[in-house]
Amino acid sequence: MFVDTVVEDKALHKPAFLFGLSIAVLAIFFTFNFTNTIFGEFLSPVIGNPEKSGFFGRLAVSFVLTILFVANLLLISFARLKIQILIVWIELFLLFLAFAYSFDLEIAYIFSGQPSKIGLMISKGLFTTIYISAVSILIATAIAIVGAIAKLSNNGFAYAIASFYTSLFRGLPLLLQIYLIYMGLPQLGFMIDAIPSGIAALSLCYGAYMTEIFRAGIQSIPKGQWEASRALGFPFGLILRKIILPQSIPLIIPPTGNQFIAMLKDSSLVSVLGIWEIMFLAKKLGAKDFNHLEMLLTAAMIYWLLTIILEMIQARIERKYQQKT
Amino acid sequence: MSIKLGFKKSSIAFTALLLSIGMTAQAGVVYDYIKNNNELMIATDANWAPFSYINDAGEMEGFDVDVGREIAKRMGVEARFITPDWGVITAGNWNMRWDVSVGSMTPTEGRSKVLNFPAVYYYTPAAFAVHTDSPVTTLAGLNGKNICTTASSTWEMYLEGSLDMLNAPAFTYKVTPGTITALADGHTCLDDTRLGAGVRNDGIIDSVPMIQGAIEDGYPIKFLGDPAFYEPLSVATDKGNSDAELDAEIARIILEMQKDYTLTSLSMKWFKNADGSSNDYTVAY
Repeated sequence: MFVDTVVEDKALHKPAFLFGLSIAVLAIFFTFNFTNTIFGEFLSPVIGNPEKSGFFGRLAVSFVLTILFVANLLLISFARLKIQILIVWIELFLLFLAFAYSFDLEIAYIFSGQPSKIGLMISKGLFTTIYISAVSILIATAIAIVGAIAKLSNNGFAYAIASFYTSLFRGLPLLLQIYLIYMGLPQLGFMIDAIPSGIAALSLCYGAYMTEIFRAGIQSIPKGQWEASRALGFPFGLILRKIILPQSIPLIIPPTGNQFIAMLKDSSLVSVLGIWEIMFLAKKLGAKDFNHLEMLLTAAMIYWLLTIILEMIQARIERKYQQKT
Repeated sequence: MSIKLGFKKSSIAFTALLLSIGMTAQAGVVYDYIKNNNELMIATDANWAPFSYINDAGEMEGFDVDVGREIAKRMGVEARFITPDWGVITAGNWNMRWDVSVGSMTPTEGRSKVLNFPAVYYYTPAAFAVHTDSPVTTLAGLNGKNICTTASSTWEMYLEGSLDMLNAPAFTYKVTPGTITALADGHTCLDDTRLGAGVRNDGIIDSVPMIQGAIEDGYPIKFLGDPAFYEPLSVATDKGNSDAELDAEIARIILEMQKDYTLTSLSMKWFKNADGSSNDYTVAY
């Protein structure tokens, strides 16, 4: 929410806006023609056979849908803010479920077998995904701290190496990096297995992005603070640890959290190396009985749930640092 | 799931690399390693039922998996499966990450630049299939149409007219497609065909057992004409770490498995027709 003292009236409670919205929604429902769906069947006592109801049927169905939609919005608008957010979340989620359900899928397949397919994905895949992401995040953070310090230093070698590194690893697609590390390093006589290659690629790629985030965070602290600290006779390391970093961390945390979430999802790219993580199992378990979309949807749900947990943790950390400053 | 770094293997790969700088790797290096380690590492793509897939218990299963286990058994070592992407296997330069590929690979000129093919163990027919509502009734009807298949597969080479199989039964190019839709995952072709005739493709080409499986699973597709060609499928080893002793051992074991009908019975076990009869794909037609 904006920290603003002037709060305007709710737009939904202005008749002109409400009328305009209704017309727009009606036009959309009319264009997409819901006559031959469940809504048409539901209204068949009024409009007769949905197939033959023609223009009148189409208009009637869109009209009813519009009233339902706008009434729903109006009702929600009277609720308290937290309730509003919750209701809209639930409604959007139900819409998403309806969307997935309309694919005409064999949802039971996900729970079939002993152990069930989803059970296999969680017992075999979830651990690997979390393990790979967690290790990569730790290494990437370490790389980012070193990289940011190097990029800010006056040492030509350190700056050159760090900027070359960020340029290279931000400039190549992650999938390509995974292949390069997995197939390229052994050519130099350094053999690494699939999981270490995946972790190396993820850490190096995200380390490069996070280097830039850390650098920007440190740079955003005004020059005067450095000068004042130097004037007090503090050594470099102490200034960084006690004065600069505590102020830049609240700025660094939100984009870093985004990187963690992105990394969790990008760990699916290492499935090409045959690592049995969530994406790999989703693809291969679905392939056996030709139920691809079912398993992909399952993987989607697992990833989503994981990122929701991460988002919550991120929000909590952000709040903690907001109070401090 | 392996978390080890593979230092032992790295040192061996490094030795092999040093040796290969001279000319070729020392005979027996890979085979000795397999014996000493008591483990045959077999690469196979887990995307292809009934050849190689992950079963309900979450374990590898299928015709290729059974053949791989039997080879390891006759070598007197344990079998361990590893499941990289098809493209990673066919690219060669395995650097001893795994020792052999038992994954229904067709020997071709191109692949033989990076891989050795010590023994062909069976032949599968490849056939065209179309949506059940498709107006196309003959193979000639597919000329100029949009055909979908797996990228970098022998089927794609067939569509391009550049199929350079080694020691294969004779065949002719019966279809000249207008567009070739080559997808990384050939299963997506089947899902595209399901959308309707001519929606995303007009037909597909794939191996007969694979299409058979899709039909049994309720996909609205049907075979079109007779199989287009029979492809020999071979065990593959890495040319970068060529080991004549390993190749000879594999050739000996496959010959033995042909002679005592192990391969035939495995084929009969895994390749069933819709009417319940079995196919012996271990002989060339």
